[in-house]
Amino acid sequence: MKTVLSSLTGTIALITFAWYPSAAAAQEKSATPGDAPGFAYAAPAFIKELDSRYPAQPPVPPSPPRYGGVLHFPATVRAFDPTAGYRPELALVWDTLTEWEATWYFPEVQRTPMIRKTLATSWEMVNPSTWIFKLRQGVKFHNRPPVNGREMTAEDVKYSYELLKDKAQYSTRAALVKTIHVVDRYTVKFELSMPDPKFYLNVVDSLSPVIVPREAVEAPGGLAENPIGTGAFMLKEFAPGEGALLVRNPNYYLKDQDGRQLPYVDAVRLFFTKDPATDTALFRARQLDVSRISTLDVLYALMKTVPDMQLYRVPSFGWGDYGVSMALDKAPYSDVRVRQALSMAINREIVAEVINRGDAALYGPFPWALAGYTKRTDYTYANLGPNYEYSPKKAKELLAAAGYPSGFDMELEWAEFQGWTFNEFVQLVARFFGDVGIRVKLKQLETSTWIAKAAGVQPFPHTLAAFSPIGAGPSFMDWVYLRYHSSFPRTINREGITDPKLDDLLTTWRLDPGEKRPAIQRAIWDHLRKNVYRITTIVPPHYRITQAYVHAGANPYCWFPGYCSYEAKTAWMTEKAPSRKFEKFAQ
Amino acid sequence: MRTYVVRRALNGLLVLWLVSIVIFSLVRILPGDAVIMQLDQAAAPTPEILSRARQELGLERPFLAQYRTWITGAVHGDLGRSLITRRPVMNELLKRINLTSHLAVMSIVVAMLIALPIGVLSAVKQDTASDYIARFFAVLGLSLPDFWLATVVITFLAIWVQWIPPIGFAPLWEDPARCLGQLLIPALIIGARLAAVSMRMTRSSLLEVLRQDYIRTARAKGTREQAVIVRHALKNAFIPVVTVIGQQFSVLLGGTVIVEFIFLQPGVGSLMLDAVLLRDYTLIQGAVLFFATVIVVTNLFVDLSYAWLDPRIRYR
Repeated sequence: MKTVLSSLTGTIALITFAWYPSAAAAQEKSATPGDAPGFAYAAPAFIKELDSRYPAQPPVPPSPPRYGGVLHFPATVRAFDPTAGYRPELALVWDTLTEWEATWYFPEVQRTPMIRKTLATSWEMVNPSTWIFKLRQGVKFHNRPPVNGREMTAEDVKYSYELLKDKAQYSTRAALVKTIHVVDRYTVKFELSMPDPKFYLNVVDSLSPVIVPREAVEAPGGLAENPIGTGAFMLKEFAPGEGALLVRNPNYYLKDQDGRQLPYVDAVRLFFTKDPATDTALFRARQLDVSRISTLDVLYALMKTVPDMQLYRVPSFGWGDYGVSMALDKAPYSDVRVRQALSMAINREIVAEVINRGDAALYGPFPWALAGYTKRTDYTYANLGPNYEYSPKKAKELLAAAGYPSGFDMELEWAEFQGWTFNEFVQLVARFFGDVGIRVKLKQLETSTWIAKAAGVQPFPHTLAAFSPIGAGPSFMDWVYLRYHSSFPRTINREGITDPKLDDLLTTWRLDPGEKRPAIQRAIWDHLRKNVYRITTIVPPHYRITQAYVHAGANPYCWFPGYCSYEAKTAWMTEKAPSRKFEKFAQ
Repeated sequence: MRTYVVRRALNGLLVLWLVSIVIFSLVRILPGDAVIMQLDQAAAPTPEILSRARQELGLERPFLAQYRTWITGAVHGDLGRSLITRRPVMNELLKRINLTSHLAVMSIVVAMLIALPIGVLSAVKQDTASDYIARFFAVLGLSLPDFWLATVVITFLAIWVQWIPPIGFAPLWEDPARCLGQLLIPALIIGARLAAVSMRMTRSSLLEVLRQDYIRTARAKGTREQAVIVRHALKNAFIPVVTVIGQQFSVLLGGTVIVEFIFLQPGVGSLMLDAVLLRDYTLIQGAVLFFATVIVVTNLFVDLSYAWLDPRIRYR
């Protein structure tokens, strides 16, 4: 109770202090651990401590790894069936043709996405509309009926792509595929509906079709009853609403960099938790070995009670930002001066303070790394330009120049959604906009309505507080081309952005074989930050915590074991890990 | 009696038919659908692909055609398949009901063990210190929300003893120790609230009965006070208490969403909430119809139990 009240008081004090920059600055100067009047704790000092104790790239795990143990982590899976819907955790059972290669021994990862060859071992561009992929030989499906461990071949790739490519979840990556031909037992040829000199990025994990055996799909109950793939783990038990138990695939084909068989752990137990309090309680009770934390407050509280835990504080690539989408086809949002004014009216430092006690990075039109900025020190106002700097005076001037000297009425729609704190965000934004004369009416939506609007299925009349449309991996195609090109419907290009110059830049980028792409991407960044088609503010980091007895990799794209199967394949546990059985889920 | 039961059964069928129409219509009025709610944030499908996904799920068929298919199946015991998991709705429900019924029965038992003795004591010792203390705790039990109590309990258990109830349901007849370990604390939390309601009802009902003429007569005849309360007063005082318990049991069978979420108990409550959030129409319809049936039947049994408790009651 005391903690709750203290936290509540702290939040109120924080908003009050944060509103007055001078007071906030004074607060920061006097803040030291254990001496933080008005705050539950000294957030700036704690952030500094995290910066020094937990660098972005965590230390390389010791070698050799220890085999055995049962790894526990939270997940959200409603159906272990790729034909019913997509979840990243399905990659534990089913492989894609390739995976993102990004581990602790690869520091320049954000600039140069690398690909690990899983089911495909090589690829070749015959022409930008025709691609040939060579498959790994000797890969076996799980040894269970009706598939019984037979070899995966090109026929399976063709079957899987034809089965999944038009499903809503996989269409982002696979809809481009027009036809698939089996060249020989281990070779497939993709014919594309439009040229793409970087098509090989579309078969990497997350949202790309997984490879499934026809016999399992066509057996009674389909993949839900016959969850058979080529993945590192085999599904032993699925308890809807509770969790799942997956055991090691003894015939898995991948080995680590020193030639040792993967995965290291005997089994993985997933818990389908829904409440952050449950996650932290499970972690404290050592029933979770790896977990996600949504805010700095919760992280601080956990560190006090589990002092030996490990933290991977991942600068977010772009997932989880706070922004405002505008109805660009209507006045006044169709006027670039109005959009610039709205962006300038927001003090992003205060947004960061209120959303996550200041532990957040500035965010622009798309991920920094895709514009060539690879270090966190690059994430500055200087690189974003004047439209992102807090300047109510200039904002008023721009509004007056656009014909709105007395401001205008705006409706800002929002909803509660998972880990986001849009409630605080919209209140802040409304006040910032109010300071420059814009009269904001906040309208809370039922979450499903908000999802439909954020997905572009329903229109929003004025503005919508939402995260930016995201990509599954570090691909410019996912994050920028699809989201900003006028040829795509609103289910992809949420705001309906129509800008001929931008379209030209995006098309040039698409057709370029690669040499000029970095420069074109920077040009697109410059164009977007000037035109402010979407107001972006900040993006908090991801916090992944592990028990002291767990060694796990560190992958900025797939920072959590459930998000990329490689994290689960390469995680290992010391002899201090709790002894656990894995005959059934409830043990 | 037989006429009464038949009439109530026919009324019940009419209620269930109306429920089926209302729930079938209501879920379709809600914005969004299962296709949209399942989309990953990174997905970017075209409207044509979304439309095809809806067709696969049968969501683009005419309203009446959809209703006819569903209600025909329901009459034959087939509630359809979940739009999300593609599993039969009845299987999904039965799995969850197993846990929920365990939790409901344990909560009722906990509540009765607390409420009945304290309620009786409070009535018999009206306006004494023990009555005030009992009423204080009853008001406290009513005032503390389940979600708050559950969050506090799970957090403090984790911090102080590094233990929380195990996850993974095992029925009582398979693994009694695990079942009790898993469900006892949630049952205590739910039972505490229910105990507060039942204790207050027991107290007020017993106080009213104790002022009746026949109680005075019993006392005048020299019957011992214990016999007066247990044999003469308590049985009559139970009628409103049984009503409350019956209602609460129906509510508990419908699931205790927050406690289920916090303790990761996959009961009916979390199933229903997920179904609503994900717009899993067939699951919502099936679950609502199923529980409407349970409530209609439970209410009938509660009404019939009045005659056993008070032989003066006659059904017409």
